[in-house]
Amino acid sequence: MAKTLSLDNLHRLVDALLQEGVRVVGPKRTGTLTVYAPLTRGEELELNELPRRSAKETFFPPCETILSFEKRDGRTTVSDPDLDRLPETVLIGVRPCDAAAPGILDAVFSWDYDDPFFLERRKRTTIIGIACTSSDDACFCTAVGLTPDARQGSDLFLVPVEGGGFAVEALDAKGSALKERHAALFTAGGNTVPLPLAEPKVEPLDLEKIRAWLDGNFEHPLWKEIADRCAGCGACAFLCPACHCFDIVDEGGEGSGCRRKHWDACGFGKFTMHASAHNPRDVQPQRYRNRIMHKFKYYRDKFGQTLCTGCGRCIRWCPVGIDIKAVLDEINKKS
Amino acid sequence: MTQGQQTESTPLVDPACYAAATAAIRAEAVRLLEAGEVTAVVGYRAGRRAGSAMPEVATTAEAAAQLIFTPGCQNNLALFLSKAKREALPKGKVAVVVKGCDLRALAGLIGESQLKRDEVHVIGVACPGVYGAGADLAKPLAAESLARKCRECKVHLPEGTDVVAGTLPPLPDLAPLEAEELARLEAMTPQERWAFWTEQFARCIRCLACRQVCPFCFCTQCLCDRNRPQAVDTSPRPAGNTAWHIVRAMHLAGRCAGCAECERVCPMDIPLNLLNRKMAQELFELYGFETTMQPQEQGALTSYRDGDDQSFIK
Amino acid sequence: MTATATTTKHDFEPKLVAFVCTWCTYAGADLAGTSRMQYPSNVRVVKFPCTGRIDPVFILRAFQKGADGVLVSGCHPGDCHYMAGNFHARRRFAAFRQLLDFVGVDLKRLQFSWVSAAEGGKWVEVVTELTERVREMGPMREFIDLDASEHWSAELADAELKAAYHSL
Ligand code: SF4
Ligand code: SF4
Ligand code: SF4
Ligand code: SF4
Ligand code: SF4
Repeated sequence: MAKTLSLDNLHRLVDALLQEGVRVVGPKRTGTLTVYAPLTRGEELELNELPRRSAKETFFPPCETILSFEKRDGRTTVSDPDLDRLPETVLIGVRPCDAAAPGILDAVFSWDYDDPFFLERRKRTTIIGIACTSSDDACFCTAVGLTPDARQGSDLFLVPVEGGGFAVEALDAKGSALKERHAALFTAGGNTVPLPLAEPKVEPLDLEKIRAWLDGNFEHPLWKEIADRCAGCGACAFLCPACHCFDIVDEGGEGSGCRRKHWDACGFGKFTMHASAHNPRDVQPQRYRNRIMHKFKYYRDKFGQTLCTGCGRCIRWCPVGIDIKAVLDEINKKS
Repeated sequence: MTQGQQTESTPLVDPACYAAATAAIRAEAVRLLEAGEVTAVVGYRAGRRAGSAMPEVATTAEAAAQLIFTPGCQNNLALFLSKAKREALPKGKVAVVVKGCDLRALAGLIGESQLKRDEVHVIGVACPGVYGAGADLAKPLAAESLARKCRECKVHLPEGTDVVAGTLPPLPDLAPLEAEELARLEAMTPQERWAFWTEQFARCIRCLACRQVCPFCFCTQCLCDRNRPQAVDTSPRPAGNTAWHIVRAMHLAGRCAGCAECERVCPMDIPLNLLNRKMAQELFELYGFETTMQPQEQGALTSYRDGDDQSFIK
Repeated sequence: MTATATTTKHDFEPKLVAFVCTWCTYAGADLAGTSRMQYPSNVRVVKFPCTGRIDPVFILRAFQKGADGVLVSGCHPGDCHYMAGNFHARRRFAAFRQLLDFVGVDLKRLQFSWVSAAEGGKWVEVVTELTERVREMGPMREFIDLDASEHWSAELADAELKAAYHSL
């Protein structure tokens, strides 16, 4: 029989997990914006708003220290973080467009090299997804193969039901284990009629046709047309659940310092700048082209997946109003 | 000029005034391109989403006939005339659509010898105001969705442009929220301000959208990207972020046109224009300097007088 | 027990950085030295061609790297070797002070002065005064604390980092 969970019990679940020493990360209002942040109480959970930044930062933080070094008495010692001590984490209240992304990124973070920072966090994290009941005109999950109730990427899934509360579905061992551990909070039966789902009203996309068009049109006037206006910032990449580029820098002084890994973006002019000062992506349209190529062709070619879940963040926050859905519609029409 | 009964959610002005400005911009842009007076008109066009707009470099009469002016036209298009974005424009004389605040930036660029006045045909717009960040673009512009800068705007009507598109409707008086916030910060102790700003800066993800949209951030090599020597850490951590924001504010002091684009585009809601405004206010108090709609030969920090205040120097 | 000001041992010895121009203040400091005038040894002097070359970012960097106080000093108005470098610097630092104040840096840690090549005594006075003032104030914690806050969001990864990053 289907289990349900009231909103109060969802809050209690967070509190119970925190009591056990589990780190619980979920949408939380901080100042004017909602972001995924560690919760200190169940009631902090803010489920009515899509967080400004995506959930990828749970696995791939904006900045993390990957080693530190110290020079003393002519000797240099290097210390690595002890990734075995990364805490067990529950990522809660994740909408399908965010929940699907970490699984898509597994492919690249375990491709020619296993990135322990990403993968260790993945191993230790349980994702509680939630069906989405509110969308805006930037959302387009349905055009890239997801739905507002897509289970992809979730270990446990909540569907908001009539009269408040959620129908609960465990999707794998991680999800079942979590549910078993807190069985008392889940009730059998109850109203399981789902609330109406969000319905992004968008033109469908044929991702395979788009891939094929991209294959043949590395050079095309469209790139200049769309992306001459691109300001070359990192907003789209940094807010995106699927963008995963990073830079590695050494910071500190001669005596001691840290090596840090932090987000980078193909929109930046410096992204491909060579030490010789030659820049293979010389002008902004070439950089924007890479954004589209990487998401809809290269990643598909290599891993059979698309680097976009249709969350709409890059559309909402592009300073110059570049709308990736409009771009894809345009390509869809051509192909 | 004041309308009665203005609340935060009643439509601010009759949308017809934007429609009139749109028609005037189109007519001028088409004329310029057909007559071959310019090679491009930098203006705005509608986006896919209701109420959205984006910069457009129109090079044909057909494209020019699609230009618009709506409350969604937030961008400061003077950016396209800066060295950083010039590559997007064809060679030759261009026309640019500017609101009053954008015009101050254009004048600043001319003052800094980035271009000459006669290289650009300036289409000013009578501007009642634009949406602030995160506003619902599908709803009519109202005080609650109006950009904070527009509540205190003194340049609704551009001066010194080649043409002015549209006419200005009567505008309501609105509480100066930004000035009030600035005063609130000024009244704090340094410790409180430090706490305020460290919290704000800690959120910065270093997407550099603020830098990329600023018409004055046109350095080929930004000091904050340099690593030999490195003055500012590039990682998004409190230390580097604070340094970045101090340097940004300092490099814009006496140049910033107050278009508040940096603040609007910040996806982390960091109130950058408070820093800009504070610096502008100090430079006005110290040296009587103000950015204006007319190009000025010298900026506040590129000139001096013998008798400048030095009470802080021993 | 008696001791002169310069040899007293204090609990806190502030670190000061002085950015000076080579023509006036550096020569003035040099004169103080060759005249065997006594002044606190807390100051590290960094020499520039002109105050006009002293970028505000240097001051920021000094604080970030652990300076408790910063002194910027050059030629008196009218005496600049390059005619107007110090006039430009005067405006720039006036503005920069306001900015630092606005973000919450205590301006008592930052001193500007004009010290000519002949003013060894004034150099001693300025350095002594700043040293004593900063000593009173104690260490400059703000920037050091910032550098130690390991994560940009302050809260996102603190607990996590404490566990996994205990060795760093
Ligand atoms: S590309 Fe844009 S819409 Fe797609 S997942 Fe990334 S931020 Fe969301
Ligand atoms: S597309 Fe928009 S958000 Fe992305 S780099 Fe260009 S201007 Fe920035
Ligand atoms: S500040 Fe003035 S000119 Fe600028 S957008 Fe607002 S109302 Fe228009
Ligand atoms: S736009 Fe905002 S988040 Fe991005 S770098 Fe600027 S202040 Fe930081
Ligand atoms: S600093 Fe901000 S407000 Fe000033 S000109 Fe640049 S973008 Fe506009």
